[in-house]
Amino acid sequence: MKKTLFFAASLLLAASPTFAAKMTMPADAPASYEAECASCHMAYPPALLSEQSWKNVMSSLSKHFGTDASVDAKTQAELTNWLIKNAATRQKYSETAPENRITKTSWFIRKHDEVRADVWKRASIKSPANCGACHIDAAKGIFSENNIKIPAK
Amino acid sequence: MLVKRWAICILVGLSFSAMAATPQDLLKSYEAQSGKASPVRGEQFFNAKHGKEWSCASCHENPPNHDTKHIVTGKVIKPLAPSANPARFTDEAKAEKWFKRNCNDVLGRDCTAQEKADVLSWLMTVK
Repeated sequence: MKKTLFFAASLLLAASPTFAAKMTMPADAPASYEAECASCHMAYPPALLSEQSWKNVMSSLSKHFGTDASVDAKTQAELTNWLIKNAATRQKYSETAPENRITKTSWFIRKHDEVRADVWKRASIKSPANCGACHIDAAKGIFSENNIKIPAK
Repeated sequence: MLVKRWAICILVGLSFSAMAATPQDLLKSYEAQSGKASPVRGEQFFNAKHGKEWSCASCHENPPNHDTKHIVTGKVIKPLAPSANPARFTDEAKAEKWFKRNCNDVLGRDCTAQEKADVLSWLMTVK
């Protein structure tokens, strides 16, 4: 019995870092998420931002990080509802993101504090918003430290 | 009942074919709202900055006949020229949506029908 408990506990421990690094894309993403959002940037898993942050993003699409990303009213409602439904719930990720940027949240900054400024500027990375440049399985929602390849240029 | 179903099928089919467009259709419609398109003017417009940070070519490159990268996010953008990407300019609502967004980014205003006609006519010549 003790052995089984120990085994279960170690399994849990071994699994938890991977769990924290997993932000799976919900299976019910509306087609408009790919068409309207992921045409310019990666389809960020909704769990990367809190409910309030998504509301802020979705109510200011005509001025979206320097570009006009406006959508029609029906699409906006559809996307907002889905994003809010799947927003971050765990305490750790639930802060309202400064400037509505995932990359300005305290957890993002903490997780990336060893990445030097010149690395972010490499041509194949360009921006901290380009998750897939280093997190090779980012599109699948996998951000584990075991799945990172930082490009040299 | 059967006849009714057939009628519905035909009607649905007709409305779909009315939605699908070709780059030529869109060009005609922009020309009808302005004047004759000029591919030369279109290419200049595409390459030039218009008082803001980016030109069309900042993200789509010239010639826009290959996969390019969004200047900020690095996300791959499929070719804009219909010769390299037959899906381009076949859906009027989609074309209008992107003109609205991207003209705002590049010019800080909507593009005129003449500007759209010029750019589209040039894109249709890109091999």
